[in-house]
This record gives sequence, structure tokens and C-alpha cells, in this order.
Amino acid sequence: MDKKTVATIAYLSRLSLNEKNEDKITDDLENIIKFVDQLNAAETDNIEPLASPLEKTAKTRPDKITAENRKEIFLERSPKSNEDYFLVPRVVE
Amino acid sequence: MSIQFKTIKQLGKMLNNKEISHVELIQETFSLIKKNNHLNAFVTLNEQESLKKAEILDKSPSSSSLAGIPIAQKDLFCTKDLRTTCGSNMLSNFIPPYSATVIENLENAGCISVGKTNMDEFAMGSSNETSFYGNVQNPWGLNLVPGGSSGGSAAAVAAGIVPAASGTDTGGSIRQPASLCGITGLKPTYGRISRWGMIAFASSLDQAGPMARTAEDCALLLNEMCSHDEKDTTSLDEKIPDFTKNINSSIEGLKIGLVKEFDLSKLDTDVVKVFEESKKHYESLGAKFVEVSLPNISLSVPTYYVVAPAECSSNLSRFDGVKFGKRCENPKDLEELYIKTRSEGFGDEVKRRILIGSYVLSAGFYDAYYKKAQQVRRLIKNDFDSAFKNVDVIMSPTTRGAAFEAGSKGDDPIQMYLEDLFTIPANLAGLPAMSIPNGMIEKKPIGLQLIGNFLDESTLLRAAHNYQITTDWHLKTPEVMS
Repeated sequence: MDKKTVATIAYLSRLSLNEKNEDKITDDLENIIKFVDQLNAAETDNIEPLASPLEKTAKTRPDKITAENRKEIFLERSPKSNEDYFLVPRVVE
Repeated sequence: MSIQFKTIKQLGKMLNNKEISHVELIQETFSLIKKNNHLNAFVTLNEQESLKKAEILDKSPSSSSLAGIPIAQKDLFCTKDLRTTCGSNMLSNFIPPYSATVIENLENAGCISVGKTNMDEFAMGSSNETSFYGNVQNPWGLNLVPGGSSGGSAAAVAAGIVPAASGTDTGGSIRQPASLCGITGLKPTYGRISRWGMIAFASSLDQAGPMARTAEDCALLLNEMCSHDEKDTTSLDEKIPDFTKNINSSIEGLKIGLVKEFDLSKLDTDVVKVFEESKKHYESLGAKFVEVSLPNISLSVPTYYVVAPAECSSNLSRFDGVKFGKRCENPKDLEELYIKTRSEGFGDEVKRRILIGSYVLSAGFYDAYYKKAQQVRRLIKNDFDSAFKNVDVIMSPTTRGAAFEAGSKGDDPIQMYLEDLFTIPANLAGLPAMSIPNGMIEKKPIGLQLIGNFLDESTLLRAAHNYQITTDWHLKTPEVMS
């Protein structure tokens, strides 16, 4: 784990690290990754990964609209909106 | 008559016998909250709305099972029109337009949500020290942590302010604070309680549950909290029993498993002594002890610290400053809006876990970490499946020790992660587990963990209730403002 890798994953995570905590975070991540490297000790050939304790297919329901349209309240409680959209800085000039 | 330290059952009786009105009960609750403000257990109070509900109950009595019972809700559950921060600056202005299913279930049963409790930011922590809203004080001693992440809920119940609180448990966040605060907490089987409206941390591990003074009260709460919910695809569509029904039945012949691989010799001798006494007590109640082997259990914490951050980095990508929550000032473009909002809105521990998650999920590392951890997760679950062929419950200490001082774990995250050594396995396997008070170490409470088989909360509650009607550890109370 070097600073360049940390900078890449920080960018992937859309986080900026300031210089002050960059060293500390690099060390912490290095230690945590070393810690989880213990998993290499386990024999996992032919073991199916377990993504959830419930190995059931999700139940389906009839494709009917059940929720009411609450556009107004969601827009009203957002950081910035007009009557139809969430607003963000201009993307296309 | 004081309401402090009363159970749900006792308060229900007081209300029925008209020893206290609904309004008096709520007024008294808010008086206790304010007198114990220094605990910092609450982030947001719901006083006016609570009093309104109590007035209605005084005018037209309700037959609902928990009518008028004050409850504190962990600030991770969305509550309609009541601020929900999840312990984070990111959501310091978030007012949900809807309530979580479990909140609706409790309120439909008559509970009055008096406020939102402090917690580790986005439930990531074991000491409540990562909250943006400051540390929570454990009522049992100055500068002691209450545990985490449901630290505010545990402290509010331990101080006798409310008889019950909701919590959530991803790696021990109900059981560890219950142990450190001397209360009873239950993490149900994964899928028992709907996750809809719960702010997600690690979706395959998160589960809500009750925190209260007794196992009996936990059963009363669980009866109302569980439901099958079409809005949560992982919600179980299984029969929900009356969890209070067999709680009084004897535990004669109950087979309790002791995990061969848990090396208790590494724990403080006091912790071992307390645990041995609980074993003797269960023996006196007719339980039988059987050694069980969970060969992969030592890999639980490393497995968790791949799976949970991976799911967290994915879940927390929704906090982008666009649709709800905080947004940074004057971003020059969309990318800066994302980066600045997230860098200002999240605290250090949350950032650390997002970064680990992004790393283990990134191209080239996915198989080595994430897939590997999911394979080990299956081995751990298989170990439990085999063990439960021979035993009814598995017993261990809940925590490695009693409450520690704030700041005492230094800034090495791994030391804090190891706090959850005994609690994490049940989350990985999706099993129900609870913590009950079983002793005191230097005037600080500590808990006993019981892990049950899939969907078998009833046996856990019966084992816990039998213990509590023959011991008084759960009746001990700290010196707090009354």
C-alpha cells in the first residue's frame, strides 16, 4: 500500500485526503490489509462464496404501482432543486 | 411514583391501574432525559409530538400491546418528519419524508418515540467515539464508553430514562453496548425485521433489534418489530411466533455449546470468573454443556473487515450531496460537488472503511479479498450448521472485558475492531444472538452472549428469562440523576 494506491482508491471513492492525514490513512490501510491477509490461511478451493445468510431467490410481486408520487416533498427536502429536478453545477457548457 | 428503571411490563401495569397518566409518563421521561443531558445519549428529541400522542391516549384509551410506552429510537432509523442524522455531519439536516417499517410497527403497537439516540457515525464503531455529535457517557462511570454503535440507546436504557430502545447490529452493535451498559439486547435472525428505512451500512449483516432491561421486555418488543415486508427483498416470509409464549418454560435438558476455539485464557481472569459462574448457574437450572468446534471462527474478524467495508463503500456512495443531506458550498463543477461534500460530510472512521471497501472491490483485488472473504464466510456458516446439530444455544462472553475509558484504545483501528471478536460470527452466519448482564467487574457490568439457531429466538429468550428470574445482575442500576 503506497501513497499512489491510496490516492487512486480515494479518487474512486470520491474522497479527498489532506496531506496531514494522508500518511496516517496509508499506514492504517496497510495494517488493515495485513490483518485481513489472515484469510489466505483458509482452504477455500471449490467453496461457493456466501453473499448473504439467506440463500433464497428474492420474492417477486405483481408489477403494480404501490407507492404514491411524492416528487414534491423529495425535491423540497433536497439541497437544491427547481420544481422538476435536483439541481447540480452545469455539466455541459 | 418514579418511572425510572421500570420495565415495559411494570409501566404497562402502572398505566392500566391509573397510577400514572400517559401524559405524566411522557413528562417524567423528558424530565429524566434533561436531567441526564450530560450522558449525550440523545441527538434529537420529539417532545411536542410525544406529548400530543400521550394526550390522545389519556382521552381515548387504546388496547394496543405497548400503548403509551416511551421508546428511544436509534438515529439510524428514518422517522417521518423527525431529523435522522445517523451520527453523521452528512445527514445533520436530513428530515425523512417517511418512517422505517420497524418504527411504524412499534408506533402502531402504541410505542411513543421520544427521541433519536446518539450512535457511532453510520454505525461504524464500538465505543460511540466516532459520532459527529460527541461521545456518549456510559451511566456506569465517568469517561467510560457505552460501547457502540448503539451507544446512545444502551445508555438511555441503562440510566433508566426509557424502558426500551431500538438498536441495530452489524457486527455486535446491539450486544456489545448492552454488555458494557448492563442491559439486555437481542439481534434477531437476519431478515426477521425489515431493513426498509434503516440507513444501510452492510446490507448482508445489518439487523435491527430490541434493547431493554429484561429478556421478557425484549420478547414483547420483538413481537411487534418483526413483520414480512414487501419493501425489503431480504425480509423473511416465515411464521412469526409469540416470543413471550414459552419464555417461562423450564430449560431442564437444554444443550448449551461451548466453543472449543474460543481461547478464554487470553481474557482477564475476572471475565473468566464471571463466565464460569454463569455456567454453574445454568447447570443448576438443568442445562447441559457440550463442547462444539467452530474451526474457522478465528477468521471471523478478518472476514468481517472485508465484507462490511465492501458493502459500506457501495451503500455510502448514495451520499453525493445531490438528493438529500449536506452539500458543500460553491462547488466549481459536479465532480468537486461530490468530492467536497463527501470529504466534509464523513468522519475519519467512515472514510477509512469506504477506502478499504473500494480497495477490496477494485479490479485485480476482488478475488483475493472479497470473493475469498465470502468463501470463508460460508465455511463459518457451515461450522455453525454442524454445531447446531448437537446443541440448542452457544454461549460465550459478549465482550473481552467491561467498559473501557474513552480514548484508551489509542488510534489503532484494529484494536477497536477486535472488540467485536465474540459478536461478529453471528452476523456472518445470520444467526440470532443476545447479551444479558451476568456479572460486575470493578463496579462495571458485563454481559453473557447466547447465540441461537436460525429463527430460534424463542429458545434464546427462554434461556435468558430463566437466568434473569433466578439472578439479579439485570436489576443492578448505576447512580444517575433521578
